Amino acid sequence: MFDVKILENNNIEFSGRLDATQTEQAEKILEQVNTSCTLDMKSLEYISSAGLGILLMHQKRLKDAGHAFRLINLNKHVRDVFMLTGFDQIFEIM
Amino acid sequence: MQRKFKRQISSLSQIFSFVSEFLTSYQVDESILFSINLAIEELFTNIVKYNRTTNSDITIDITKVEEKIIAKVIDHNCDEFDVSKTQEVDITRRLEERKVGGLGLHLVKKMVDDIKYEYSNGESRITFTKNLE
Repeated sequence: MFDVKILENNNIEFSGRLDATQTEQAEKILEQVNTSCTLDMKSLEYISSAGLGILLMHQKRLKDAGHAFRLINLNKHVRDVFMLTGFDQIFEIM
Repeated sequence: MQRKFKRQISSLSQIFSFVSEFLTSYQVDESILFSINLAIEELFTNIVKYNRTTNSDITIDITKVEEKIIAKVIDHNCDEFDVSKTQEVDITRRLEERKVGGLGLHLVKKMVDDIKYEYSNGESRITFTKNLE
C-alpha cells in the first residue's frame, strides 16, 4: 500500500511502500510540482529502483527550473538505499 | 517454498505476500526482509521488462539453510542474460550525468551476500543468498 499527499504548505508526503506497481501514483503528484518543495518520507517504509527513478527525474526537472527538491525523515532502510546508489550525494536530504 | 507468478509487474503484491509468509515463521530482522523483498522485486521486474520473448510464468523459490536465506528467481523459455556480470554503476556521478534506470541490479548486488547465475536449456536461474547473521 502506497499513498502520496500534497500537504497544506505545498510539500508532499509519501507513505507505505513505493514499489514498481506504485510509480504512476507518485508520478501524478510529482509532475504537478513547479516550485521548490520538500518531500516528507517519514512514513515511507520501502523504496525500490523504480521509485528512485521517479525521484531522480523530478530532481533533474526541478533543479533545471531553479527549484530545490528536499527530502526529509528517511527511515534507516530507505536511507541505506540512497547511500548505496549515491543518491545521498545528489539529493538534499535533511 | 516455491510458487509461480504471472509475468507482469502487478504480480509484485502477491510476491511480497509470499516472501512475508515464508519469512515471518523465522522472525527475521526487518532489514533482512527489506533486502530480500528489494532483491526479488528488482530481479523479477528486470525479467518482466527485458525478456519479452515468452509468456511463461516466473518461478520464485525461497528457503532457509542454516543461517542463510537462499532465494531463486527462475525464468523459463528465455535467452541467456547473466545479471551477476552487469557493468558496475558509477554512483559518484553528479546529478547532471545521472540517467534514470540501471540501478536495480546494482542494488541487488549491494544488498545480498552472494549472487549466482546459471543458464541451461532455455532456463535462467538466479540464486542469491542473504546471511541472517
